[in-house]
Amino acid sequence: MRLTLRQRTERKWLLAAEPEVLEELRRLRARVTHVTGALAATSDGVVLAHDTATVEPEGVAALTAAALGVAQSLAGATGRGAFRELLVRGANGYVATYAAGSTAVLTVLAGDRTNVGRLHMEARRSGARLADLMGVALSRAEQP
Amino acid sequence: MANTQTALKEAMTSIEGSLGAALVDYSSGMALGTVGGGKELDLTVAAAGNTDVVRAKVRTMEQLGLQDTIEDILITLGNQYHLIRLLKGRDSQGLFLYLALDKNRANLAMARHQLRRIEAELEV
Repeated sequence: MRLTLRQRTERKWLLAAEPEVLEELRRLRARVTHVTGALAATSDGVVLAHDTATVEPEGVAALTAAALGVAQSLAGATGRGAFRELLVRGANGYVATYAAGSTAVLTVLAGDRTNVGRLHMEARRSGARLADLMGVALSRAEQP
Repeated sequence: MANTQTALKEAMTSIEGSLGAALVDYSSGMALGTVGGGKELDLTVAAAGNTDVVRAKVRTMEQLGLQDTIEDILITLGNQYHLIRLLKGRDSQGLFLYLALDKNRANLAMARHQLRRIEAELEV
């Protein structure tokens, strides 16, 4: 994929926010039991930070971007508005993706014994915090 | 027989001192229905938090080797009572009723009695 200069600059600043983003991911993992991993990625699938031991973050970020595309279309086509979150439950647990502003997402892996109510609560809060961090990073990119 | 919303509304109106009530699925921590609550008492937060309370007690009983079931859990605060009643019906396993009461207005014995009656009439 060819990127414009502007996109490249934005990405550079987003990636520069990695330590703060990682700290937020660790905080989320600590606050919700049975969460086994979390990663932040741009909507187009670039990993910004990850705290995952069991899965390969690049692959998950790419799949998240693909699922996000379908989820956005589905929400749009059925009049549900802008994307907020996506929850997948498998036999062995959950994969959930939460919007972190309009440019990034937060994907969380959790075991099947996780408290989904708490996961939603904490991950929505983390999503909002990540959105703030992205906002700060992007405003730096705007400056000449 | 009463549906979830009717049963929760009844709990709020018939039990003196009720501040909020919720029916919660403790396998997921999500509320099936809520009535009352508000800014001082976010029932979604209460549903998720009290799910951890119920799970911890269930686990503790397993570890103690107690072959028994939990009927209810009472938490006494300075100004409130919080009552958690685990449902027993065939179709309502894994659910609990949560009720927050104003300590100064509530009659605890009466509240437990009423909650038992509401459970009996509840059809999920």
